[in-house]
Amino acid sequence: MIPLKYNVRNLRVRWVNTVLSILATGLVVWSSCILFGFVEGLQYSLNVSGDPLDMIVLRKGSTNETNGGYDESKADSILTLDGIARDPQGRPLASIELLNIPVVERRGGGRANIIVRGIDPVARELRPSFQIIAGRDFEPGKAECIVSKNLSKRFAGAGLGELLVCGDKEQYRVVGIFTAGGSAAESEVWVDRQDLEQRTGREGSVSSVQLRAASAADYDRIKSTIENDNRFKLAPLSEVDYFAAQSRSSLFLKVGGTIIAILLTAGAMFAAANTMYAAVRTRTREIGTMRALGFSRMDVLFCFLGESMLLCLLGGALGLLATLPLQVITYGTSNFDTFSEVTFNFRFGPLVMGVAVGMTLAMGLVGGLFPALRAVRMDVIKALREV
Amino acid sequence: MKFLGYILRNARRSPVRTFLTMASTTVSLFLTMVLLSYFTVNDAVADSIKLLNRIVTMSSQGLAQPVPIARVREIAALEGVKAATPFSWYGGKFNEEVMPFAQFGVDPSTIWEVYDELSVPEEQKKAFVEKRDGAVIGRRLAQDRNLKVGDPLPLKQDLYPVDMNLTVVGIYDGTPDRDLRMCFFNWDFLNEELKSRANGQMADNAGVVIAKVASADLMPTLSKAIDASYANSDTPTRTQTEEAFAKMFSEMFGDLKGMIRWISLAVLVSLLFVAGNAMAMAMRERTTEMAVLKAIGFRRGLVVTLVLAEAVLVAGLGGAIGTLGAKVFFDLVDLGKYTAGMLPFFFVPWSTALIGLGASLFIGFASGLLPAIQSARLSVIDGLRKVV
Repeated sequence: MIPLKYNVRNLRVRWVNTVLSILATGLVVWSSCILFGFVEGLQYSLNVSGDPLDMIVLRKGSTNETNGGYDESKADSILTLDGIARDPQGRPLASIELLNIPVVERRGGGRANIIVRGIDPVARELRPSFQIIAGRDFEPGKAECIVSKNLSKRFAGAGLGELLVCGDKEQYRVVGIFTAGGSAAESEVWVDRQDLEQRTGREGSVSSVQLRAASAADYDRIKSTIENDNRFKLAPLSEVDYFAAQSRSSLFLKVGGTIIAILLTAGAMFAAANTMYAAVRTRTREIGTMRALGFSRMDVLFCFLGESMLLCLLGGALGLLATLPLQVITYGTSNFDTFSEVTFNFRFGPLVMGVAVGMTLAMGLVGGLFPALRAVRMDVIKALREV
Repeated sequence: MKFLGYILRNARRSPVRTFLTMASTTVSLFLTMVLLSYFTVNDAVADSIKLLNRIVTMSSQGLAQPVPIARVREIAALEGVKAATPFSWYGGKFNEEVMPFAQFGVDPSTIWEVYDELSVPEEQKKAFVEKRDGAVIGRRLAQDRNLKVGDPLPLKQDLYPVDMNLTVVGIYDGTPDRDLRMCFFNWDFLNEELKSRANGQMADNAGVVIAKVASADLMPTLSKAIDASYANSDTPTRTQTEEAFAKMFSEMFGDLKGMIRWISLAVLVSLLFVAGNAMAMAMRERTTEMAVLKAIGFRRGLVVTLVLAEAVLVAGLGGAIGTLGAKVFFDLVDLGKYTAGMLPFFFVPWSTALIGLGASLFIGFASGLLPAIQSARLSVIDGLRKVV
């Protein structure tokens, strides 16, 4: 075994090449990590929302809350079903909700659809760690709204105290800013349901009912009633499944990101190979000496593979480290399932780690393999004679 | 020019290195082309729509809000409007596939006047008007799904509470920068189904109204006039040019755009390091040779030029293969097939390819600069003495 110190010293001697290679691989790993960090952030925002006993009731055939709804009378009957969990005051944990999707201007230009959700008071209890972080909650009937922290930073008129203009007739005064533990609600504007009904002329219709069952057995019973009873004939979905199905827009990012990462890795592989070929070439005599001293072919192979790995690992680590400042960035794009804005934070998790490690290994191994093989195949006598 | 042979030989001296540098440039430029084209294609299409003089009327409260069907006739009757059609996104499932391709309920008697850049055989136009459940689909959609005139096209409900069992009665065609993967069907059919099978839920909604205007200068005044006349109704509207309407969708990508630009930039900078590294290694191995060149009377400027020319040549070749390769690749492979209507077409425009080529030449130049200056500064004595 040739000590690793040999490789470290070699990298130090050719420091200009080393630094350039590290920077190149670091940048490549960094840009892929950014993409996957956002994919991970998006998935997280869709996953965090689901309590296994939570259910969302949509119109049959619809895959999405934003795709039409049903009559309020049906929703009212759902609230009377047995087996719905209750809050300390004895109210059922079931919330009738109505959505509107106006086009709003982003601060800094561009437009996007955003979700305005008309809610009943109980809705807050169905969102994990709902919290008002500035201002106060809205009062019904006063055309007031509360805006998620992420949206308030990103949309014109969505700041505290400003007037959010969704349409000629639909305007709300922003009285509070809320967070909801990173869940999907963090990309929404909340108003009183009656307020929204009146302003959009949709009295008597609802988009969805969200409820929490008291137990798993209750959950199954409620589900089959809503599905089969002639009063309802609606589509009850578990919230977990519902949000999982919505991550299709993250699939788009994921496929795109994977293609980009593969191409970037290929490009960086060539670069690593280039550096290692030069390393092998300039050290021909050294390799001959090592072989003459009795190091085996395997030793030499591992030595050069190790050096290539070390080089790429340094780059990979640099790339990963460089993503740390990104954790504070909020990112917004459209969820093409609901055609509305989703905001999420860069998230450093297993996916990002996996991508970084995978890319680094691929670059180091494949990039180092052929130069190392060349070093192994060298004839000892000829190598020693080389000038 | 007489040094071209020397430059070429130098580039070929270490074929593995030259190949690896070129390959790295090729891959990076290919990727950059893919990233940048995504936006240039979107912009190019939005620009080409400009010439078609269409305006789109939607609810001022967003796409989810209805526009009453009566608006279509009222807008069509305005002076300067040639024809108008409802344009209602159905968003149905096909074989349980969610959002398989774009489907719109339209007026079969005016749609081809509004979309006059699409071509449909006359007898198919007639069949579309006459057959209640008829559908006209794009040529590429027909190819992807292997659909012919006469085939059934069952769409399952998602957004609307009724299924649509359609029959293909026609196939439209158009230039490659048009979406040839849409499905048009009769809006009246959808409305009748809603009334007879869903208690009229969501009925009488035109979705949006698309109108063909006689000339471009009429568009702003017409848009304003339409919005003004409905401002105090229950369903106020927002009317904009089709270009602005399309841009609204591309603006929805939000930060994705900026991020892709940053990634492209990072790729190019990283490529600069890669190419610079390769050139520096090449020069180190040739120290003695450079000293000899100078000893026999080559001027500094010439030495710099020789090194730079080699760097530009290698990077430029790699870049040319990457950019033109991307152009040819996406001309041959139709990416739209695999994106479920998200991306109806994808190609690398010449302008983008030229930018990529320019970027690779610049990278060659910049990567050769430092090694070139170093070899120009090299003292002849030191260089001759150095054993590599």
